[in-house]
Amino acid sequence: MAASAAYTEEMVRGLLARSGASQRPPERIRLIADTTDFFGVESDDVLVLDGTPYLIRNYEREGRFGLDDEPKYWVRRAIDLLDGSTRVLKFEFHEEFETRIGGVSIRRFRSPRKEARILDLVRGQRHFMQGRWALDGAGNNVRILEFIRGRRYDQVAVAAGDDHEDFFHRHFPAVLEDFVGLVRAIKFLHDRGEKHGDIRRDHIICDRDSGVNRWIDFDYDYVHGESLFSFDLQGLGNILIFLAGRGDVLLPELRREQPAVHARLTRDDLSIAFNHRVANLQKVFPYVPDSLNRVLLHFSEGAGLFYDAADQLLEDLAAAQADVTAATGRRT
Amino acid sequence: MSDSEGAARAPDDIRRHLLLAVDETEGSRRAVMFVADFFGAYQDLAVTVLSIVAEPPEDLFRTAQARQEWLETQRRSRDALCAGYRAILADGGLGDERVRTRVVVRRVVSLGDAILEEQEQLRCCIVVVGRRKITHHEEFLLGSTSNRILHRASACAVLVVE
Repeated sequence: MAASAAYTEEMVRGLLARSGASQRPPERIRLIADTTDFFGVESDDVLVLDGTPYLIRNYEREGRFGLDDEPKYWVRRAIDLLDGSTRVLKFEFHEEFETRIGGVSIRRFRSPRKEARILDLVRGQRHFMQGRWALDGAGNNVRILEFIRGRRYDQVAVAAGDDHEDFFHRHFPAVLEDFVGLVRAIKFLHDRGEKHGDIRRDHIICDRDSGVNRWIDFDYDYVHGESLFSFDLQGLGNILIFLAGRGDVLLPELRREQPAVHARLTRDDLSIAFNHRVANLQKVFPYVPDSLNRVLLHFSEGAGLFYDAADQLLEDLAAAQADVTAATGRRT
Repeated sequence: MSDSEGAARAPDDIRRHLLLAVDETEGSRRAVMFVADFFGAYQDLAVTVLSIVAEPPEDLFRTAQARQEWLETQRRSRDALCAGYRAILADGGLGDERVRTRVVVRRVVSLGDAILEEQEQLRCCIVVVGRRKITHHEEFLLGSTSNRILHRASACAVLVVE
């Protein structure tokens, strides 16, 4: 018997009324159990997973770097009709593609199974989104995620302060402390043989309810080379450069606004992943301590050594934290 | 883990043992030719030609069958590769009785570490690899196996053939 058959339209209408999930109950309720054709899943459909009915709502949208408002058709907001909670449902969607970073091609793919595995792994870990997974009636792996109310971490983290110097001296120690917590969370995955797979600053949400920063979106994976975690680590480096610079320090802006500083930069000072961003921030902001700058330089064109484990990064960050605190006179 | 041929040396085998780690790159071919040329005349030398197939992430394949087929193809390809390298070594003077081949399919966090684990298990006193001549950016994003071996090896000599 299909899971959806355990519910009748009348039962669902009762649950809808009780949960207050829909102010205007739909005229017709369609009970579904198969999400193979996720384009065909419509708002007001009720999807039954593991005996729980979910009222399907809107698409989620990609919100990043020029992709704002691009719908993710396989990701739907939903309401758990048994307890009224908001959930995010990710339907089974596979894609494979190549990403070019610094001229290097990385083979990447999306894996629902990986995300499901990591959800199990990080259950109860505060720095990760939480959720579970279930197979729908056709065997598709649907991830049922807790909805995180909050803003993108990068927007929150660098918002404070009047200018960079003010930010760096008054707020950066706390930002760095938060970042170290996020790196430790990634180390938790790495220690268990898992990658995050898509470490970007918009994949961290600052949870409004708890104040904790949480990694999201674990379904990306990549085919690694010698080092299993290098790609994850370069993502962490990009975020750190962004945080320490109170945003990306971009060459065109620097040329326009601080030509003398721009003239002092060499190719070695630039981010190895994104050549229009400055990694050697001490040349722009001289009060950046050496120890922190050395960490940043691991992600620069001039780097002779690279991190291949989160442990190494954390060790260097500990020294940087001590120096940042000494330089600013602030703990967190 | 599995191997196509050969494993640890017999306890009474006291010959000097060289581990030649290869894949399908040109760097590996140069390393094989170097060993054939440089060590061919050493009669007291045993060589294991090792090729490790790193299992790709299990999630890369939609089905277990697709994954198995991929692995089998890789294994056959590496078997053929090692057979070809064995012939090159024989031409250099390292005859069949002194050369073993070993193809290993396994999950690896680091290929360099996996080669060194083999070196330890086989009790090899020299590890030879070819350098792939990767770019700075490739090393940053993908890592370098030869650098890893150079930095991690502790109980053997390492030859990196340019």
